[in-house]
Amino acid sequence: MSELSLWGLFFVCGLATFLIRLSFIQLHGKLGPLLARCQPVLLLLPPAILAALCIPPIVFSKQVDGLQVELAQILAGCVAVVFASYFKSLLWPILGGMTFLWGYRWLIG
Amino acid sequence: MPLVSGVLPFGLIVGANGVALDMSPELIMGMTVLFFAGSAQLAAMQLIQENAAFVVIVLTTIVINLRFAIYSATFAPLFYPLKKRFRLPFAYLLCDQAYGLCITPDQQQRTDAERISYYLGTAVALWVSWILAVILGIAVGASIPPEWMLGFTIPLAFLAMLMSTITNRLLLIVAVVSGLAAIFLQGLPYNLGFILAIVGGVVAGLILPRIAGRSFNSVMGRPHE
Repeated sequence: MSELSLWGLFFVCGLATFLIRLSFIQLHGKLGPLLARCQPVLLLLPPAILAALCIPPIVFSKQVDGLQVELAQILAGCVAVVFASYFKSLLWPILGGMTFLWGYRWLIG
Repeated sequence: MPLVSGVLPFGLIVGANGVALDMSPELIMGMTVLFFAGSAQLAAMQLIQENAAFVVIVLTTIVINLRFAIYSATFAPLFYPLKKRFRLPFAYLLCDQAYGLCITPDQQQRTDAERISYYLGTAVALWVSWILAVILGIAVGASIPPEWMLGFTIPLAFLAMLMSTITNRLLLIVAVVSGLAAIFLQGLPYNLGFILAIVGGVVAGLILPRIAGRSFNSVMGRPHE
C-alpha cells in the first residue's frame, strides 16, 4: 500500500475506534438492551480473534513459493505458552519465545 | 504505576515493527495517535504485511476494538452528564488499563468528581507513556537487523494475550476452533479465512453450551441475571 492510502486506512480505523469508544457514552440509556443482547458475542470475541491472529503466522512462514510449516516457530510458540502461564506480564512470553527462536537458529541454523 | 511497565515493551514492539515494515516515523506516530489501541495497531501491521485488503483491515480493527463498547457502557453514567468538550476527549482516552484501574471496588465507592479526576489522571499518564514507548520503539527499531525476526514478536504478543483471555473451558474451545479454522482457511483470498475463523469460533462458543444443555452464563461461570 502507498503512503497516502496507509494514512487513509489509519484515519478510517482511528475514526471507527473513536466512535466505538464514544458509542455508549454519547447514547447513554438508548443502547443498554442492545449491549445486554450482544454480551455473549462480545465475551467470546477476544479468544476467537487472538487465536485467528496468532496461530497461522506461528505455524507457517510465507515463502516465495507459498507457505512453509516452521517447526522452530511452533516450538517457540510452545515456550511462550509455558511462560504465559507462569507470568502475568506480556514481556516474558515474548522474550522467552524470541530467545528460543534465536537459540534454535543459532544451534541448528 | 505498575501498569506503565506493561505499556513500555508493548509500545517498543509496535514502534520497532512499524520501522521493520518500512513505515516512516511520521506515519507510525500518526497511526499510534489515531488508533491509541496497541493490539489493533499490531493486527493492522500484520495484515498490511500480508497485503490484506483495505476493508479487511478496517473490519479487523473494528472487531478487535469492540471491547471498547463495553468500557464505554461502563463509563457512560459517569461521563454522559459532562460537557461535550470533556466527553469526547474522555472517550478517546478509554483503554484496557484505564478501565482496569477505574473499575476497582474502592474506586466505585468514591464521588463522581473524584472518579473523573482519577480517570483523567490515569488515562493521560497511560497515553503519554504509550506515545513515548512507541517513539522509543521507532528509535531502537532502526538499528535492529532483520535476522532477529522482530516481526515474530507480533504473533507471540497475541499468543500471550490469548493465554490471558482463556479463563474457562468454553473460551479454550473457542480459541482452538478459531485457530484451527484460521490454519485451514489460509488459502482464501483477501484474508477472508481470518474473518471466517473468528465467526466460526464465536458460533461454536454460542452453540456448544446449548448442545451440552447448559446456559451460557453457567458455562462462563457468571451469576444468573
